[in-house]
Amino acid sequence: MNPDAHPLTALIADDEAPMRDLLRARLKQAWPDLQIVAEAANGVEAVELGEKLRPDIAFLDIRMPGLSGIEAARRLYERSHIVFATAYDQYALDAFEQGALDYLLKPVSAERLATTCARLQARLRTREQGAAAAPQDIGQQLAKLTTLLENRGKPEKPAYLRWIQAQVGSSLRMVSTREILFFQSDEKYTRVQTVGAEFLIRKTLKELLDELDPDEFWRIHRSTLVRVDAIAEVKRDLRGRQMLKVRGWPGELEVSRNHSYLFQQM
Amino acid sequence: MRASDINQVLDFVRDAFNEASKVWWRFFDWLAVVEWRQLFLTWFFVLVFFAIVHTPEPALWYIFISFAVKVLAGGKRRAELMAREATTQANVATLERRLMEAQMAALQAQVEPHFLFNTLALIGQLIETDPPEAARVHAHLIDYLRSTLPQMRQRGGATLGKQVELSRAYLAIMQARMKERLHVRFDVPDFLGSAPFPPMMLQTLIENAIKHGLEPKIEGGTVAVRAHVVDADLHVEVCDDGVGIDPHADDGVGLANIRERLALLYGASASLDISTPPGGGACATIRLPYKMMEDA
Repeated sequence: MNPDAHPLTALIADDEAPMRDLLRARLKQAWPDLQIVAEAANGVEAVELGEKLRPDIAFLDIRMPGLSGIEAARRLYERSHIVFATAYDQYALDAFEQGALDYLLKPVSAERLATTCARLQARLRTREQGAAAAPQDIGQQLAKLTTLLENRGKPEKPAYLRWIQAQVGSSLRMVSTREILFFQSDEKYTRVQTVGAEFLIRKTLKELLDELDPDEFWRIHRSTLVRVDAIAEVKRDLRGRQMLKVRGWPGELEVSRNHSYLFQQM
Repeated sequence: MRASDINQVLDFVRDAFNEASKVWWRFFDWLAVVEWRQLFLTWFFVLVFFAIVHTPEPALWYIFISFAVKVLAGGKRRAELMAREATTQANVATLERRLMEAQMAALQAQVEPHFLFNTLALIGQLIETDPPEAARVHAHLIDYLRSTLPQMRQRGGATLGKQVELSRAYLAIMQARMKERLHVRFDVPDFLGSAPFPPMMLQTLIENAIKHGLEPKIEGGTVAVRAHVVDADLHVEVCDDGVGIDPHADDGVGLANIRERLALLYGASASLDISTPPGGGACATIRLPYKMMEDA
């Protein structure tokens, strides 16, 4: 099919309107024949419009609400050629370079866009001629990109509980685990002690034990979980029991015999 | 009746035992640090005293026990006591250093390169498409930079009024980017403007509200900043009606830094509370002792 027969179409997706305006204006200069058929303000809209209008090219911002640009691309790449747009982000750029995916750096400069447009025109022409880039290859690259960008900077750690929710009046207090000194089970409830405040929650110690980071909280007694960083000192009382002092709380916590091995060297 | 009598006796015994142990340990500590010369002197006096009253046995016991304790455990105990004293001194120094470090970390983080970069990109783009808006955003950016930069040099010169001003400029820039997805409401009485308020705390809370609350939400929402005095405390509250807090998400360096600085500056009389109101979203409240004016 001759490209002149039907003008090529494109979709622009970015959550920031000024960025969409800029790209549209720049495209008009760099590639007057390209028809911008739709603008999307979030990932979900991008997928909906992309599936409905089947544009030849989709310009997708990476960070968008609803659905990220990469997730949207995974739904659209079979029909539309994907060009990512991103602000400075070394992680993403490395990934794009390795994977030979098209991308634009925001803010989009006229020169850079001209190069990209020339490359796109060449690619789309070869696709028209039947020598299409294997879409499954792009699919694999996108899958790799997803894992790379979603897990960046995070070691392979399960998601531990970082906030404890405690009902206070009509609202829900969110207590960061970093504020917590210890948990102590108190019959039906669990008591959460912070510096200067205490809360009662319904979660049992057993449930907490399963959900909290075992490196952050240690169980020192059948009814006590203490935050390791809050421990100030360990000592023995007259009866030979190990007692813990925590920073910011005047009392002492008993370490049961079963857990005394935790402080063996002290 | 009898049970309570027994309890009373038990209480008395327990108290007496505790008291005795306290006295013993005090004696022990004293022994550990006392000079041998002084110890010999006490032996001499005790011997003389008990010799006068013709019962030398307690004196001999005293000499024997104190000698044994001093020889066997004195060195270790003495080292412990000296270490404890050194720790106390070091703690004061550490506290001061930690405050400095926390302040520096907060100040260094204040102009996020990403934010500056995106804002300049926005201005560059608006120059082409909407010059008057470009001029407005540009002016906000200058306000923002002006109110952040001097704080890096002057110590403790932060007031709530200044922090609000800074936040307004920041939010105006974010509004230019997010358009109708971001609404802003300020409810800060003028008379609170002169109240001292540490730098970059309000800013961090507002950034969090946008980044974690509103940006991920398709339709966006409102950031509401409210300040009021409750009893003798100043409450400054940043609320958003965004997606709320994921209980598994890390609370971030920003909040930890605020908590650390509040603790170092005000001890237990200040706090940072995070809550989720019944309608959803998130609210962060900083509570600290209210002072009318910055101390000169």
